[in-house]
Amino acid sequence: MESGKNTSKPAIGFLTVIDHPQHGLFGGYLVLNLAGRPLEFHCTAPIKPNRAQHILYGPTLESFLYGEQIGSTLLGHAKTSPLVVCTDREPVLSLRDLVDLPVALVLPPGESLPNETCQAGKPDLPGAGKPDVPGVLRVDPPHGRGPRLITFELGRNRLALSQQKSDDRKRFSERLGEAASALDLWEPFTRIREAIEEAQQAAR
Amino acid sequence: MNRQPIGESELFHWAPPLAPEVVSRDFCFTTEPLITGWNRALERPLAIEATTIPFSSAAPRAIQIPIRRASIRVRSFEFPEPIETPRTEQPAIAASPGQGQAAGVSLKLGTTRIRPPQDVIKLGDRLQYLLQPPLETLLSDRELAMPFQPFPFQFEGVAFLYPRHAAILADEMGLGKTMQAITTIRLLLRRGEIRSALMVCPKPLVTNWQREFHLWAPEVPTLVIEGEQARRAWQWRLPDVPLRIANYEVLIRDREILACGEGDRPIPFDLVVLDESQRIKNRGSTTSEVVRGLSRRRSWALTGTPVENSAEDLVGIFEFLAPGFLSPEMKPRKMGRTICDYVLRRTKEQVLTELPPKMFRDADLELTPEQRETYRLAEEEGIFRLTAMGEGATIQHVFELVLRLKQICNFDTATGASSKLERLEADLEEVAGSGRKAIVFSQWVSTIKRLSKALRRFGPLEYHGQIPSSHRDGVIRQFREERSAHVILMSYGAGAVGLNLQFANYVFLFDRWWNPAVEDQAINRAHRIGTSGPTTVTRFLSLDTIEERIDHVLQEKRELFDTIFSGAKGPGKLGLTHNELFGLFALPGRGVGKRAA
Repeated sequence: MESGKNTSKPAIGFLTVIDHPQHGLFGGYLVLNLAGRPLEFHCTAPIKPNRAQHILYGPTLESFLYGEQIGSTLLGHAKTSPLVVCTDREPVLSLRDLVDLPVALVLPPGESLPNETCQAGKPDLPGAGKPDVPGVLRVDPPHGRGPRLITFELGRNRLALSQQKSDDRKRFSERLGEAASALDLWEPFTRIREAIEEAQQAAR
Repeated sequence: MNRQPIGESELFHWAPPLAPEVVSRDFCFTTEPLITGWNRALERPLAIEATTIPFSSAAPRAIQIPIRRASIRVRSFEFPEPIETPRTEQPAIAASPGQGQAAGVSLKLGTTRIRPPQDVIKLGDRLQYLLQPPLETLLSDRELAMPFQPFPFQFEGVAFLYPRHAAILADEMGLGKTMQAITTIRLLLRRGEIRSALMVCPKPLVTNWQREFHLWAPEVPTLVIEGEQARRAWQWRLPDVPLRIANYEVLIRDREILACGEGDRPIPFDLVVLDESQRIKNRGSTTSEVVRGLSRRRSWALTGTPVENSAEDLVGIFEFLAPGFLSPEMKPRKMGRTICDYVLRRTKEQVLTELPPKMFRDADLELTPEQRETYRLAEEEGIFRLTAMGEGATIQHVFELVLRLKQICNFDTATGASSKLERLEADLEEVAGSGRKAIVFSQWVSTIKRLSKALRRFGPLEYHGQIPSSHRDGVIRQFREERSAHVILMSYGAGAVGLNLQFANYVFLFDRWWNPAVEDQAINRAHRIGTSGPTTVTRFLSLDTIEERIDHVLQEKRELFDTIFSGAKGPGKLGLTHNELFGLFALPGRGVGKRAA
């Protein structure tokens, strides 16, 4: 999927999905260089899952829509292959199974996930175990059946990964290098949301 | 069981019972069959009725629910690779502001965003603005160190100017229009969006701009256009000069060079900024004509007083920014709506809530008896002359009378008596006694010179059109640094714009200017960012004179300004018309509706 793309420019991908109550889901994908300047922006027309999808995908519908349908499509349109992909929507993490790129969930600064209380090592929590790496938390997904997440800090950012892809943590550190200490990986999502809104207004 | 007594003890004896008696009887019954007919019935077979229910089922039908993988429509936008690159891959995605700065202050966190103006139509262009990092991040580049932490509203001003090709930054005096313009120019140069900018300002402010550029953008080479014509021609034609500074007079003198300096083509600029742009409010003036003829891609105007006299002032400025965008026939309220995306206007009250207050004192003074007598004679004589002239009386004649009367309000021409001077001396005693400094404004150099003599004990300094430009910076420095210099006497023309005198806490308007905007500019020399305490403004007004009548007109002009720039209700009268000017002396008007001032 990523073959044939421009990899000469070190860049970071930011992918989010907006759930609009009337129009449906809008996906937005922003590629920034390491100076924070935009290189590419891609956004989807709104999509709405139909009744059959609701029934048949059940609790996996979000992951399917966010990751496989929207995320995969958007990355497919980009010309630049980023070093890593960041998202602020947890279901987008399912994209990781489809691309050979580290994908991480960026946690809001100063806030904790509601399910972050499900820390490894607590005996009363089913499935909880000792953290693989000291200082790493494991977080349960919302419905309790999806992949477990591990969180870690990168510079001043707090990120979460699918536990199955825990190696991506190392990749994040290696690929972003020393830049990681100064990056604010949360801020670009504000830009994407405004850009999606602007594009939506232009389409009316 | 029998109980028999045996001696002294009793013994129990068991005996078997007697055998029962048996009696036999013979029961011999005869039986006969009873014919009921039931046996035949029982021999008959049961009749069973069977119902056949057909159970013919077809093969089960499968319903197919298609789960189509809908093709998702995607809109894609690519942006050109930015010219500047961070040093050594220094990341700057909203990095902590100031993190990369080699010198200067560390900028506080902020998220001021650049937003596209309304006249940017293409979605891709709009998104390119929207997707830029916050301004604080852009300015956190180590090569863009800032000497001071800007106020948030100043970041907003930069974000306003940055994307605009036509804009007026109309902040009230003292809010840092200079810094905002310089920072924006700096960013545009750094990002390669402009390569040559021209800053045009009044002559006394050239050195001020030079100094401010050195402070806020030390890496930007500036070239002041000055000297003999041949030298200026060479300066204009020099290639690769990021920023030129020229005064309006030089621009007029060099109009030929500017018009065909590159072969037969005009010298092109990516950006032309007009400081104190009210200088081009008159569309018919040479200054306006020359600046409109400049070849440029972007046009900005900086002014604290976009409307000095009438809404036409704004039309004049817009003829430079976007010709034909405004027309003099527009109602002020509609004009306000039309320009809202092009003009950014903030007042100190809106943005500097922590700035010390500005306190006004209206000193309403009676003329001295000598002044009153002289005034009465002059007015009677003047009105008599105007009346005698009949239709031949022009607006110029009326102006002459107004000026003469105003001068008498300052000083009695015969005796030199002045109620204003008496009051000013008394006030300055207090100012000097508390070790503070004051600015006194007048519209006449002759008045300033008289005041200078009378106020000698307060160490007065003069700053007006007769002071050579080369000496003016020295005068300001002396006023700031010498403790004995308690007062500076300024003319509105020379001292109302571009000077930073925030170390003065008192402002006296010895006489009143024709429009309130110029007065505001004068006052704001002292009441601006960096001021150490409240600014007290004393406005002298001679009662029952022409000054009082003019004051009413000034109030109406303030209403006009509010209507255009704050959407206030009810437009006031549009300035001082010929009729109104003649009306100051109860004379019948000429040229109805034409504006005079």
